[in-house]
Amino acid sequence: MNLMEHMGIEPGRLQFSWISSAESTKFVDVVKTVTASVKALGPNTNYKKQAVKVA
Amino acid sequence: MKVFTIDKKDWDAGIEKTKSSYQVFGPVKEKEWHCFKALDKDEQPDMTYTNTRLSPKFLVQPQTEPMFTYTLDESQPDHHILKEINKDASPKAMVGIRPCDASAFLLVKRNFDAPQYQDPYWLKAYNAITFMGFACNDPCSTCFCTSAGCGPFHEAGLDVLLVDDGDRFLAKSLTDKGDAFMTAAGWKAQADDAGKIEAMKHAAESKIGSRISTGNLKAKETTQIYDAPFWEDTAFSCINCGTCTYSCPTCWCFDIQDENRGNSGVRLRNWDSCMFPLFTIHGTGHNPRGAKVQRVRQRFMHKLKYYVEKYDNGIQCVGCGRCIRLCPVNIDIRKVCNLMNDYDPAACVCPA
Amino acid sequence: MSGYQNKIKEAANRLLTEGSVDMVIGFRKGTLPMMNEPCFIRRPEDVHQLVWDSNCGINLANYLTDRKEKIAIVAKGCDSRNIVTHIIENKIKREKLHIIGVPCQGMVDKRKIISLFGEEILDVTENGDDLKIKFRGCEKSLKKNDVLQENCATCIHRNPVLFDELVGELVTEQTGVDRYADVNRVEALSSQEKWQYFEDLLSPCVRCYACRNACPLCYCPTCFVDESRPQWVGKSQDPVDIRTFHFLRAYHCAGRCTDCGACERACPVGIKVRQFTSKLNKDSFEMFGWEAGMTLDQRPPLDTYKPNDPNDFIK
Repeated sequence: MNLMEHMGIEPGRLQFSWISSAESTKFVDVVKTVTASVKALGPNTNYKKQAVKVA
Repeated sequence: MKVFTIDKKDWDAGIEKTKSSYQVFGPVKEKEWHCFKALDKDEQPDMTYTNTRLSPKFLVQPQTEPMFTYTLDESQPDHHILKEINKDASPKAMVGIRPCDASAFLLVKRNFDAPQYQDPYWLKAYNAITFMGFACNDPCSTCFCTSAGCGPFHEAGLDVLLVDDGDRFLAKSLTDKGDAFMTAAGWKAQADDAGKIEAMKHAAESKIGSRISTGNLKAKETTQIYDAPFWEDTAFSCINCGTCTYSCPTCWCFDIQDENRGNSGVRLRNWDSCMFPLFTIHGTGHNPRGAKVQRVRQRFMHKLKYYVEKYDNGIQCVGCGRCIRLCPVNIDIRKVCNLMNDYDPAACVCPA
Repeated sequence: MSGYQNKIKEAANRLLTEGSVDMVIGFRKGTLPMMNEPCFIRRPEDVHQLVWDSNCGINLANYLTDRKEKIAIVAKGCDSRNIVTHIIENKIKREKLHIIGVPCQGMVDKRKIISLFGEEILDVTENGDDLKIKFRGCEKSLKKNDVLQENCATCIHRNPVLFDELVGELVTEQTGVDRYADVNRVEALSSQEKWQYFEDLLSPCVRCYACRNACPLCYCPTCFVDESRPQWVGKSQDPVDIRTFHFLRAYHCAGRCTDCGACERACPVGIKVRQFTSKLNKDSFEMFGWEAGMTLDQRPPLDTYKPNDPNDFIK
């Protein structure tokens, strides 16, 4: 994760979590937090492969 | 054939004029080395350069070249049909290309413009270019062009040969394309001493300090060189990177790939290198050149033996020396060529 | 340095004559100034080819991978650390090796000299810390310390960590060097600036894979970039594919890289590829107190679990 952020992926875009199959509420919370933080960052246009230029 | 004198103070203006009828490419220094690029308005080629780090072959055969587009969307009438991409064939000029690099295109042309098959992409790009070569007054210590069928003032493959003569350039127009380029630039003055070029040519040739021997390559038994004991020693240090093949002006191999995005895609061809294991691996997983020594041998055998036999017109090398300068472990084609040329199976019972 | 060279030849001659090794891996004089070529010697009469000077920057551990012979290898500090890593990763057996250790005084960066003078180097003579460089029509003197490879300039493990014999007295290790200056500089940038920094860094890449292939750590039978089922990464000159290759290559070196600089030295277009691995080296050191290849007695942090492993990144 450190190297990803080091080369320019914004902090918050990549997240790790450890959730047991019994922790349903934690799962929901994590999904909500991750979705909210990624939405706040907007689309990751940097690391999106552009269509091949054909002209 | 006409010889012109171009006063250096008229040079920039002439180049600027040609830009209205040509897309002009020239050597430009980027970071620490030179490379060929399309010149913008008022941008001039750097005519003090030695040579570009990588060869200019990418202007005719780009490292990645889209060939076709297609769609997999079955609601479209043309689904699963490859559609050719229209290529730009407008006139281009390569100003300042070194004679070795221009002559390298002729060696590659034998492959891409054979009687049976013509490669439309390569030919279209090549034919669109006018080559204004720039003679080498001061060759590098790694240049061995004169013994590789080329030379610092070599004219084959050029439309114009440009010679730096102090405060002026001498330009020898060699073809109709060359005449047209000179006209577009508005350079008219005839040179009064055309013999000067010949004298400078001899001076430059005598500065080439390194040579290879190629005379015996054709007559040698292929299998004997192939089985020669020196390959293990030659290949040992090789790390199998693509530096030699990618920097080489005469290496032409490519690999075709389809890249999809959703339902549509593009068929591309990318440079490939015989140094890579992937180059020859079969669908079965078998690799006929699975070991490093086989791949190293292939590179030299192709350039210095198979090509020589197939076309009977010299080696597939112009002596630019790039692979020697850039190889991370100092594998030197001059040394290998001489080993191959001098190899005598009867005399040699031991490696190297 | 020439003392080293004689000692290397003596050792090679002795080992080959007594038959305790099948081959000696070292360097021979290259065909260009400031270039030596890795080579193997099998017969005592060829030992004279071996050389040692400040142009032996290629990491010879790269030539050991999966070799079965009994081998003597010439190893400077970083080479020896990669030999340790190879042994830990079962790529070579310790008992098959005779390590001729070379206390290293740093390797010279030829490109630095070329960019200083902008001229072709015709000849170089080396005398201790003094370099005399011949260009066309002129000669210049330089201090070796001013033109070291960047990783050598900040190296703190010049002495071999594992050896069977040494060719000279151990050298004093450098202290007070800032090994992570470049990493810190990039860390201070914003995300967008970081992205742009690496975009510019990688723009000349031609995907020759010299960085990968010069590295002793990269020995996978099939590299992920060469896999076709599935094809993990595109093969064109697309900048996203190029970046994917570079950062994944770096990740595969995490906790294993000895910062030998072979990748950077090998790059034909002068990309500072250590900018990726240096960050991982810094993290390994700060999070696990780990420097790769220093000992045979400890497993690397990424293949062991400790309850106190840093885990702040898990939320």
